[in-house]
Amino acid sequence: MKVTVDGTEIDLPAGTSAIDAVFSAGGDVPYFCAHKYLSPVGACRMCLVESGSPRRNPDGSFVMEGEGDAATPKVFWFPKPMASCTMQATEGMHIRSAKTSQVVAKAQAGMMEFTLLNHPLDCPTCDKGGACELQDRAFEYGYGASRFGFDRRHADKHYPLSDFVILDQERCIHCKRCVRYFEEVPGQEVLDFIERGGHTFIDTQEGGLPTGFSGNITDICPVGALLDNVARFRGRNWEYDHTPTTCTLCPVGCSITVDARNGRLERIVARENRDVNEAWICDAGRFGHVFASEERLTTPLIRDEDGQLVAATWDAAIDAMKRGFSGMRTADVALYLGADSTLEEGAALEALAAATGTRSVDHAPRYEVSVTAPQATLTDVATADAIVVIGADLGEEAPVLELRILEALRGGLIPPEFAHGTAIADLRLVERPARRPERLAVIGRESRLWAHAGHRVSADSQGALARLTHPDTDELRAVVALLDGAERPVIILGADVLSGAGGSFSANLTDLASRTGARVIAIPAAANSRGLAALNLVPRAGGLPVWRAQEAPAAFISRLDPGVRAAGFTVVHDTHLTATARLADVVLPAVTNYEKRGTVQNLEGRLLPLHPAAIQSGESADLIRTLSALAEALGVKAPARGLRGAQALLADHLGLDLSDLPARGALHTFRRTFAGPAAPHTPTLWTERMHARPLSWVDRIEELVHSDWQLPGAPAAPPARAGGSD
Amino acid sequence: MTYFETKQPLVADIFSRYPDSPQGRRSALMPLLREVQDAEGFVSESRMAEIAALCGTTATEVRSVMSFYSTYHTLPTGKYHLQVCSTLMCALAGADELWDHLVESLDVQPGEVSPDGRFSVQKVECLGSCGTAPVMQIGDDGYYENVGPGKCAQILESLRNDLQPLPDNPVPVTVGDDGRQVLATGQAVGSSVTGLHRLPGHAGGDA
Ligand code: SF4
Ligand code: SF4
Ligand code: FES
Ligand code: FES
Repeated sequence: MKVTVDGTEIDLPAGTSAIDAVFSAGGDVPYFCAHKYLSPVGACRMCLVESGSPRRNPDGSFVMEGEGDAATPKVFWFPKPMASCTMQATEGMHIRSAKTSQVVAKAQAGMMEFTLLNHPLDCPTCDKGGACELQDRAFEYGYGASRFGFDRRHADKHYPLSDFVILDQERCIHCKRCVRYFEEVPGQEVLDFIERGGHTFIDTQEGGLPTGFSGNITDICPVGALLDNVARFRGRNWEYDHTPTTCTLCPVGCSITVDARNGRLERIVARENRDVNEAWICDAGRFGHVFASEERLTTPLIRDEDGQLVAATWDAAIDAMKRGFSGMRTADVALYLGADSTLEEGAALEALAAATGTRSVDHAPRYEVSVTAPQATLTDVATADAIVVIGADLGEEAPVLELRILEALRGGLIPPEFAHGTAIADLRLVERPARRPERLAVIGRESRLWAHAGHRVSADSQGALARLTHPDTDELRAVVALLDGAERPVIILGADVLSGAGGSFSANLTDLASRTGARVIAIPAAANSRGLAALNLVPRAGGLPVWRAQEAPAAFISRLDPGVRAAGFTVVHDTHLTATARLADVVLPAVTNYEKRGTVQNLEGRLLPLHPAAIQSGESADLIRTLSALAEALGVKAPARGLRGAQALLADHLGLDLSDLPARGALHTFRRTFAGPAAPHTPTLWTERMHARPLSWVDRIEELVHSDWQLPGAPAAPPARAGGSD
Repeated sequence: MTYFETKQPLVADIFSRYPDSPQGRRSALMPLLREVQDAEGFVSESRMAEIAALCGTTATEVRSVMSFYSTYHTLPTGKYHLQVCSTLMCALAGADELWDHLVESLDVQPGEVSPDGRFSVQKVECLGSCGTAPVMQIGDDGYYENVGPGKCAQILESLRNDLQPLPDNPVPVTVGDDGRQVLATGQAVGSSVTGLHRLPGHAGGDA
């Protein structure tokens, strides 16, 4: 399809919207209401362009202009500028943006003036300032002055829609993005316009927003009307250090941007990743970050003469470990790590275990079973025509997976990608999309997903897989029929099936998958359980798993809180003084996953990169460095010198090249996985430390002072760090 | 108790007017709102939730639709809901004075109901009867035209005795074949109009 934009002819796929045509031609159109993953509705009228098309005579030939050979098809221009987000570009169409059309430039400036009539223009106190679409577009396309000499609308400026989201009704420009988001994405009609005309405001009648995915509206609001209440007033956009990284609170692995200011993690926003989370993240991933900057361990702790844990240097901690381990065989020290540790950290621990010869190695949480059925990707889920979810509470296990399922139910229309990114207006997306609940079956305990499912089977999840092989009820027969009749079926397995799954599980699953042609997602127990399974991080014959740590003669426990200590000398490596850390002989401060460089593998097998945000955490160290210190104390060779050393280990053992992973991640299947008996596991998304405490400003500042917080910049003395460097 | 619990035939009748689909059910929103407001004078939050459940939508959406129309009320109204036109023609003809007089003599502000439960007041935009300004509408019943001080006093007096005078004009306003507004008596309204011409296709000379 040939379209001429500002005089340049370009070739575009059919169905492209006029706004994407202009962007494809390298041009620009200001817009507020269009959003990549929402239906275009033409609410803000900012995206005006002039457009015209050739017309055909009744005989099919073009109406021509000019004489003889110089004749060209005559372009019939629309008499008025048109909204480009709701207009489809068609063969031969001509489009003029503000770049070449005075009419468009004037219309847009006029629209801008109109939009700003009732806008409070309190940019100096607005959290959106500096990253505000309205501010940017007013600067680029506005008159720069207002002729409106009257009082502006006044409304509630601090209206809490929920504990997490606060609305400034004066700032709303009525783009309807937030309303459409709730209707179209999580399928909850909880926000809407109230009143009409200049009085219109956004409100809910449901007594608050449902938690789960409510925070996304704070990202997509083009102005500062909807704000993240956890991050409100914590910094201006230009003061934050923005770090693109991956959320590791669950195995989805959403792309996020971590915003830190003065060494504190203040805000997390979603980052687009078409393959994983599109533009959305869950409320836990967005608001549950307070633990990263509160009550952190910043120095090693060792026991003093009175047996109290006291702050110490890394050197003192290494000495204490040397004393504690003296007389012990290195193989007596059990090595345990949390399953959200990176692949690099896992490789370092695997190497140390080989060096010490310990049989007690484990990571947790994990499941005993490994799934060999064909893997479904998240895009497979979103484009599936039948989805069966067995024994999963997605709200606790993998929230954004739920959004991808709902995407499949509304047709699985994934906006196309252009050179300028995801289509700004995909005209196939419509308001109030028709949903196909009959394509979703959920089996197991009741969960949030039930409301959207056409087939609900309340059953014991573990038995369900076997029963699907020989369906014994009409309900189960309907589920099998759904899978059989589908072309792209997907089966999703959650904790209720995977935790403690019995011997016939794998056979049943393989059988079901091959019979129905279904692809499978088995939701891993933790953010990187799937990746760590590729490393030998399970107890060797005779070794002790984590849940028997108290029987070990000595143990090193990294970022796990089993609540027990080993029989003998115990070293705990953690970010906070957990119950287990309180029992330890030496506590080593750990960095959170927000401060790490490394790689994790998500539930679809995608390797995703972690990047360190600028968070102050004293002398905390990641597991690789900490293991170097441990190796020193044990008198063995350090397993890996820093991140690169660990990546070299992965390259050697697994043939994995992590040196330049694309930002979107890359799918990878490990040929071999290690499994072994595992403790029962019930996933919970929110932990206590993730909740923000309601503190007044006075209390908050007092607390900062008490916890010796200071402006980062020039530290008094360079912190003594243990081990190698990366 | 819910409002529609005992009115199943009515509910069934309303739903029968629309397609039997999720979208069709939502269409019943307006008549259900009307029903409640006619019966109770306003639509309370619990009624919004009830209607939402009937239509298969959320109370938020019911409130959104409802609040679009100034003729639905979220607060209780009196037995006689007096709506005073406050747009230009009526304003020129004394609507402000009429309003002040009503508010003062009835001792009621918008959103309130007079202590005896009889009166509530609302300023409305042009009622489309500018030729008979100032205009007042009572409930849904009809227009009271040319409401000057005397007429106002008369009307209020009768209302206090629960003897509502017949409206001068039922809604909607009567417009003659020739496109001109006429009084209930058939007399053309407007006194100082010059230069009006009959619409083409109508017999007769200039008005
Ligand atoms: S609150 Fe924000 S997203 Fe919602 S309509 Fe207003 S400007 Fe748009
Ligand atoms: S769905 Fe999982 S990975 Fe995504 S933001 Fe939520 S917790 Fe993080
Ligand atoms: S009208 Fe809002 S972006 Fe087109
Ligand atoms: S101005 Fe009052 S009826 Fe038109």
